[in-house]
Amino acid sequence: MDDSDPTATPDPPSAPDPDPGPPGGDAETLAAAVDADTGAGELERTIGLVGGLAIGVGTMVGAGIFVFPGLAAANAGPAASLSFAIGAVIALLVALPASELATAMPRSGGGYFFISRGLGTAAGAVVGLGLWLGLVFASAFYLVGLGSYAGQVFLEAGIALPVDPAVPLGVAFGVGLTVLSLFGTENTAALQNGIVVLLLVILTVFLSYGSLDALGVFGVQSTPERFFPPGGALPVLQTAALVFTSYLGFAQVATVAGDIREPSRNLPLAMVGSVLIVGVLYVVTIFVATSAFGSARLGEFGETAMVEVARSFVGLPGALAIVFAGLLATFSSANASILSASRAVYAVSRDGILPAAASRLNLAYGTPHVALGLAGGPIVVLAATGRVALLAEVASFLHLVMYGLICVALIRLRRERPAWYDPSFRCPAGVAVAGVGGLASFALIAFMQPASIGVGAAVMLAAYGWYRHYATDIELAGDF
Amino acid sequence: MTETPTDDGERAANDDHGAPGDRPDAAAPTDRPSVLVPLEVLKGASLPNGTPELLANAHVVLLGYHVIPEQTAAEQAREQFGETGMAKLDEFADAFAAAGADVETRLVFTHDEATTIDRLIYEHDCLAVLVPNGVAQVESVLFPLRGTVGVERNSRLVAGLFADTDVDVTLYHALGADESPEDGASFAADVAAALAERGIAEDRIDTVVEDATVPVDAIADRAASYDVVVMGETDPSVTTFVFGMPSAQVAERFLGPVLVVQRARPEE
Repeated sequence: MDDSDPTATPDPPSAPDPDPGPPGGDAETLAAAVDADTGAGELERTIGLVGGLAIGVGTMVGAGIFVFPGLAAANAGPAASLSFAIGAVIALLVALPASELATAMPRSGGGYFFISRGLGTAAGAVVGLGLWLGLVFASAFYLVGLGSYAGQVFLEAGIALPVDPAVPLGVAFGVGLTVLSLFGTENTAALQNGIVVLLLVILTVFLSYGSLDALGVFGVQSTPERFFPPGGALPVLQTAALVFTSYLGFAQVATVAGDIREPSRNLPLAMVGSVLIVGVLYVVTIFVATSAFGSARLGEFGETAMVEVARSFVGLPGALAIVFAGLLATFSSANASILSASRAVYAVSRDGILPAAASRLNLAYGTPHVALGLAGGPIVVLAATGRVALLAEVASFLHLVMYGLICVALIRLRRERPAWYDPSFRCPAGVAVAGVGGLASFALIAFMQPASIGVGAAVMLAAYGWYRHYATDIELAGDF
Repeated sequence: MTETPTDDGERAANDDHGAPGDRPDAAAPTDRPSVLVPLEVLKGASLPNGTPELLANAHVVLLGYHVIPEQTAAEQAREQFGETGMAKLDEFADAFAAAGADVETRLVFTHDEATTIDRLIYEHDCLAVLVPNGVAQVESVLFPLRGTVGVERNSRLVAGLFADTDVDVTLYHALGADESPEDGASFAADVAAALAERGIAEDRIDTVVEDATVPVDAIADRAASYDVVVMGETDPSVTTFVFGMPSAQVAERFLGPVLVVQRARPEE
């Protein structure tokens, strides 16, 4: 099925204007609001700007604030805030070209769709399968984070557990979330919006208080630690590579591009806006956290370091608020990633790179049960390993490859100007931004741990092998 | 049954009257009123009984929709269910056409049915939306009046659908708090005269004016002895937030078809 263009359809009321001219007034807003009917029905776009931002922020905020501060500070000291800033800049350099591509191809599938259409099937297959598995790794990472916060609940309640509950709880949540998404809860979007708003409120209060405290407003100014770690710039860049998982969510906005209202306006705003929002939050968080404790101490607290930071400010109520916020944030990140992973499976299966059965919907619940299983199963297995840093880095690795190729796709499409390429948002200084963004994405991979690079490369090789085995005769470049 | 074969003129005709909908042209009583019929096409097995006959004189905008959960991409649902949905919708459209209506069909996959219904009302400039419930035979219509606003549109719909039939129309008016019975009666008489002018025989029009503490309850109770209810949409207010739209409450209790007349939509 392809949705080439509205001229082929006899009946939609937009018929009088057969030429989908770019600067059209009403015709364009109408086309933007609803996909043309191709004889099999039209699609209602129901996600607005707030919904788009909530997807982006909701997916990202769990990692950067509630899982990484301890690990990052242990590696890079107060300069970890610089690591987060580097991540934000790279994410922005990719978000802008990705926005342009998304407005030219506002379809579900996101980065996979842009790359398969812009660069062809081989690159598309590697990225598409890589995106699915990248999201699987990311979800497993979030689940371990969620498990850590759930375990913290027991600690706060004074219940001593014989083993560290983070991993078993994470696995349990993984199973639970997969089952939940199989049986169609129709209000997930409203719930997600609510969670994100609540989180932003809690974080704003907490970070404002923390910043004032760090600056000495409430008493003794904290002793400033040496900003750079002993290793100089290298640990900072390595940490940037580690924590880049905190910026994966903006691409998830593009994976639901097919459902976003007025995509030419809302897609770029949601993608760039969500990176800016979380970037600022992350940098401030590290500043606050490293002002409250020494970096080494923070590192000992591990995934739930922020709970101890809050406790040092306002005691138990603060700790409880952060435990609660951490549960919400990691829950929403894990949930969003599981759904995105199943959408990635759908996108590649629609194009024939995976068997069509992978995207079947269950009529009773309307949910893609096979795709959700293909997401949920490996997620649970990976969560059981409990290797937070490895999971995060592999997720980042697979996403960074996609980001780099998104930039390459933009440059190539700008050069070749195929007739179908007509973005309604153009990235300012597009080729330059994409060039720098692409280089930076690939470069960041070099600072990861060898084990992560190995696993990531193996996943990509396997994806390429699958393509050679199964999908060599599929031609996707420029196919709509 | 008047044959109105020009279905392509409908949009243009509506767009051409410069003024935005609120002053619809009274000089076009033969214009078929357009009625949106939303059906959850893949879930409901069949068209509710009697619906094609009820709307034989209408321009029917048949909306087949399928609500998909948030975690499913709309495209995915369309790919899998689009053809089935279309086939079913075409079958329903044939039933409407056989009864004499002109029909347009739209099939929409949506995460939110309210958004979709709202958009289509606007795009097709629909006078009313049908709450599709079955009806054995249409012989009597309850037409509750709710103040002067929008009464013109309601009358246009009632006359458009039932002028050429022998359906009895009962105008029902619940008196407002500071309204005398005489005022109420004269208001109802004005509407009755307007209906007569639009082609409904006077002997088929009946008026009831009464005091009712809760008009919605009175309408719903009374509806039981009628086949169809035609009522206006109300502005959302605090009460409607708590109890739902009066038209929805009536539809829920009445169990027969309700035609909900839409307010004139302001042009964007």
